[in-house]
Amino acid sequence: MAMLSSPIPVALSSRDLAHHRRRIAYAVMIATLYVVAYILLDWLSYVQPILKFGITPWNPQAGLTLAFLLMRGPRWLPATALAAFLAEVFVRDTPAPLVLLLGASVWIAIGYGGLAWALRAKGLARPIDTPVHATWLAAGSIGTTLLIACGYVALFFAAGDLPADIAGGGVARYWVGDVNGILTLTPLLLYLRKWNAAWPKVWNRHWEILGQLTVVILTVWIIFGLAATDQLRFFYPLFVPVIWIALRWGVPGAVLATLTIQIALIIAAQDQSRSPPLIDLQFLMLTLSLTALLLGAVVTERLETLREVARREAEQRTLLATVPDAVLTLDAAGLVHSANPAALQLFGDIASTAAPARVSELLPTLELAAPEGRATVEACRVDGRVFPADTAWARLHAPANEGFLVMVRDATERQRAEAQLRERDTALARAMRFAVAGELASALAHELNQPITALVSYLGAAQILAGPIPAQDERLQATLGKAVREAIRASEVLKRLREFYRGSALIQEVVSIASVCNTASAVFQERLRRAHAVLVLRIPETIPTVQGDATQLEIVLHNLLANAIDAMGHTSSPWRRIEVQAERVDHEVILKVEDSGPGIAAEVAQKLFEPFVTSKPDGMGLGLAISRSLLRARGGELYCEASQRLGGACFIIRLPIEMAQELRA
Amino acid sequence: MKDPTVFIVDDDAAIRDALSLLISLKGLRAAVFASAEDFLAVYEPAWRGCLLTDLQMPGLSGLELQNALQERNVILPVVLLTAHGDVATARAALKNGAVDYLEKPVEDEILLDVLQNALRIDAERHRSQQHRAETVERLGRLTPREREVLELLAEGLPHREIAERLVISPRTVEVYKARMMEKLQCRSLAEVVRLGAQARAEPATERSD
Repeated sequence: MAMLSSPIPVALSSRDLAHHRRRIAYAVMIATLYVVAYILLDWLSYVQPILKFGITPWNPQAGLTLAFLLMRGPRWLPATALAAFLAEVFVRDTPAPLVLLLGASVWIAIGYGGLAWALRAKGLARPIDTPVHATWLAAGSIGTTLLIACGYVALFFAAGDLPADIAGGGVARYWVGDVNGILTLTPLLLYLRKWNAAWPKVWNRHWEILGQLTVVILTVWIIFGLAATDQLRFFYPLFVPVIWIALRWGVPGAVLATLTIQIALIIAAQDQSRSPPLIDLQFLMLTLSLTALLLGAVVTERLETLREVARREAEQRTLLATVPDAVLTLDAAGLVHSANPAALQLFGDIASTAAPARVSELLPTLELAAPEGRATVEACRVDGRVFPADTAWARLHAPANEGFLVMVRDATERQRAEAQLRERDTALARAMRFAVAGELASALAHELNQPITALVSYLGAAQILAGPIPAQDERLQATLGKAVREAIRASEVLKRLREFYRGSALIQEVVSIASVCNTASAVFQERLRRAHAVLVLRIPETIPTVQGDATQLEIVLHNLLANAIDAMGHTSSPWRRIEVQAERVDHEVILKVEDSGPGIAAEVAQKLFEPFVTSKPDGMGLGLAISRSLLRARGGELYCEASQRLGGACFIIRLPIEMAQELRA
Repeated sequence: MKDPTVFIVDDDAAIRDALSLLISLKGLRAAVFASAEDFLAVYEPAWRGCLLTDLQMPGLSGLELQNALQERNVILPVVLLTAHGDVATARAALKNGAVDYLEKPVEDEILLDVLQNALRIDAERHRSQQHRAETVERLGRLTPREREVLELLAEGLPHREIAERLVISPRTVEVYKARMMEKLQCRSLAEVVRLGAQARAEPATERSD
């Protein structure tokens, strides 16, 4: 057998060998089955041949061969050549020499192999279910079989085995026989694999099938059984049952019907005395099977399409029923055409009212000007309650109703959340400004107080120096005294300013480390993305709460995270990582903010926390100073180390744990 | 610098200059140091006076300087200069043994009061330290028998009872007492009893409080 596609490898393991043997055995079995079926079909359909050649008006073996090659692939065509050769030798006892028969067989095999290759390229290795595929099959087989017929007849003609006067008729007969064989058998065989699935449907409609079969048999009997009828003229009634069956069953039914008629025709034509030549009937048969195949393909396609549409509709219904958003379809006049369950829940029972709801009542401020868009508008429930709604709409195009599809979502929660977020942002910004002002005031007060201190002492000294000099104006002493008092007053002003920021609004609340870390880091998502950095929060659930001011702690974290992200910009490494982790050590919570940046230079590290020390061109140098002041005011601490794990800076926050927690622990 | 001196430690040159000028004009001796480290580097135990130090300085802070002096058993009284709002730290310094704190800017009367008070404390500390040293020295001259008599006298026992306890005659007790009073240079019995109490509080510590 020549079906093996790959040569046997030199060395094979026993397991590979066993597998290989099984494959060979299977291929041999398939090929043998095919060859036997081919010879059997050829023998059965060997009616009214020309001389003793294989030129018969119906060649079902052609249909079998094409189906076989379509399903198995053209590389099986040696099996076809073998089958054709054996058929020539055994079925027909042809007078021609064996070499000629061999040539004819190879010619036939090449013809079908080529056709199968071309049709497989068009996607016909599967059951025919579209008119396009049916047309390809019909056109391909009509063309190819004509070529095969010409070649076959020409071969025997050239060898001198076929007289010239019947050669032309021989081509026609061979050709019609092959086309009919293909049209009546190939589509059916291609459906073989689907028969199991189709069986329940066939069983459910067995009365219909019985009726259709009866009508076919009755019609055939009318044509051939009644002596008075002209069989050629009365052939046409056969179209009626075939079209009926094609409409009901599509391709498989139509082809099965034509096969039945074909077999009946062959049987009826055995009595040559009463029948017209079978070849004449076969031309009509060709028309019938072509019509049946094309019609069947149209029906099959339509059934498939209808099933697909039904599936999609079901899918969309489920989708609409499950989406949490309200979905409305509007017609061109703005009337609600359909509403999903979520829409009924959102707007109230808009479906029950006698007249369809208008979109102008449900969404009075929605302007459907653009073909599609989004807007947040006012929405109105059936019971009159008004709520904000996020909407998205798109125009429906013909052949839909040319209205709009509108999706509506209740925006109350979103707006409330946004308002809360804004409020928190404002509070944070205010606290930040207050802290900045406090730090400024504190730094200013400290720096100015030093010269004032010197000033007061100098003035004191001046008073003493001026004391013993009698010639001086006595106003000198008074003036120096006044100067001292003014200097002290200036210092008092600074002191009050400082105390205003320091002492005021010392909020004491229970602070959750995890929630502060989450809110502080949420702000930075966009900046992290732009810096190509990853932020990891590792806050164990066992971390206790602390006593303090959440907003102030957030300011501190905000400053540290902003610094860490800035540090990312100063590293060329693609590995950019920031980690925030918390742990409990004795009576404190230790919160570390580490980064993989370049770290902090030793000369900067010394005065890192002093005000107005900064490495940023647009920075005030107050962030870390403020952060440390805020923490120290609460008994906490802030300092900096080199990060052991990430290689950059590691800022460490120490926070005393809340007293109540302490007692519980 | 055996004479009482105000040792000024401040990182701000203007404040050092102004304070030393003012203090010297008020008739006190003043010496200035730019940092705690500078002061510690040159300090000698014989120095008398008081320390006026800033609280916030680069390097060792005022509190740290105070601790360093305590570790060396220095009895120099410490006055702290604080900026605004350092009251909590100043309080901690007082608990730690500082004699006072002054908030900047300092009015000169207050400054003088505080400093004079500190110098007085220093003088007292020295006097008591000296006195204690003398007492120890005098007590050291006593024989063991005389010392026993002293302790019993300090307990307030009459001569007869002391004689019974020590199994000697009351007459001998009188002799011991006279010799003891002579050695201790005391004129009255009350003075002897006081010394006896001090003797029992031995060994004398350097700090009075």
